[in-house]
Amino acid sequence: MHNSSRSLALVSLFAALIAVFGLIPKIDLPLGVPITLQTLGVMLAGCLLGPKRALQALMLFLAAVALGLPLLSGGRGGLGVFFAPASGYLIGWPVGAFVTGLIMALLPTAAPRSAAISAFVASAVGGLLVVHVFGVVGLVNIANLSWEQALMGTLVFVPGDLIKCALCATVVHTVARGLPDWRFGG
Amino acid sequence: MGSLYSEQLTWLHAVPAYAKLIALALLGTGLFFTDQQHTLLVASVCCLCVFLSLGQATTKTKPFLVGLAIACALIAIFHAYQQRLDLAIITVLRLVSTSLMGVALTLTTRYSDLLHVFERLLSPLKHIGISSEQLALQLALMLRFTEHFFVLWRRLDEAHRLRTGKSGAFKILAPLTIQMLVAARRVADALHLRLRR
Repeated sequence: MHNSSRSLALVSLFAALIAVFGLIPKIDLPLGVPITLQTLGVMLAGCLLGPKRALQALMLFLAAVALGLPLLSGGRGGLGVFFAPASGYLIGWPVGAFVTGLIMALLPTAAPRSAAISAFVASAVGGLLVVHVFGVVGLVNIANLSWEQALMGTLVFVPGDLIKCALCATVVHTVARGLPDWRFGG
Repeated sequence: MGSLYSEQLTWLHAVPAYAKLIALALLGTGLFFTDQQHTLLVASVCCLCVFLSLGQATTKTKPFLVGLAIACALIAIFHAYQQRLDLAIITVLRLVSTSLMGVALTLTTRYSDLLHVFERLLSPLKHIGISSEQLALQLALMLRFTEHFFVLWRRLDEAHRLRTGKSGAFKILAPLTIQMLVAARRVADALHLRLRR
């Protein structure tokens, strides 16, 4: 199996998919809750690619953003975004994807249903908890908020991110049925 | 996929990319370690002057500047509400300085020049198996397929709209992801034939 070419292609194309998630306009859920999709990309990367490739895909994506490409939602890009108050979340993306992949690799994924449940758990820990921890640290250090203030600020986004975890599980379930030979968690 | 680089030439375009990156790194680090309002104010005024000196080149940064202004206002209100006006001033000044310099660098430095600096920075990592040429290839592949997947998403959305009369929204995420994974397999085969690895 040509592992190196496979990794190279998966990492590059997944980074492209995350970029497309930034170009897709926000989606309004049935209750009128709008969500943007790039953090869903972080969760999916971990679940579908495994820890190492997910980390690489997110690093590649952030490198492209740092190089000035307007790939973040709203057409943002460049080095300026890494100095913004929310930059902690951005820096947390590769780590969140890595942790998601790590957990996914440890949980059962043989059947579509078990893969979906594992994806929900993995993305809740990696894509939600880890990313928010980095976000809070960023808010404390860059926006000079207290830990309590930063925590209150980040909690607002948790319900939306839990919906993304459910969406991630749904996508993983469909992938497990559509591509039965796909190895989740790398 | 367009870059945020501005073709409108300014004096900052003539400064080498590595020098601008070093300046930005030093500025960011320096501002992070100082709490003196006067120093931060001087730095902010200097950064604002540099940014404004770019003239017409800054027009495409309007959405970013609006976002920055909103973030600064929110942070200032938050701290002012907590009776910490000094902290509000320090934080906003730091944010304004570093963000404006980051944007100025992006506006005046070509993607290829920054990539070249990144490749140089990554070259020592060759010893542990990370190739800078591979980074360039991955970036090229990523950009090529961003456009491809965006067109694909629009086709899927259009097809869903024709069937149901409504936008596909999150229902087309799974088909889009599966198409991406299948495309990755095809690209991996092509790369294997070309690169022999």
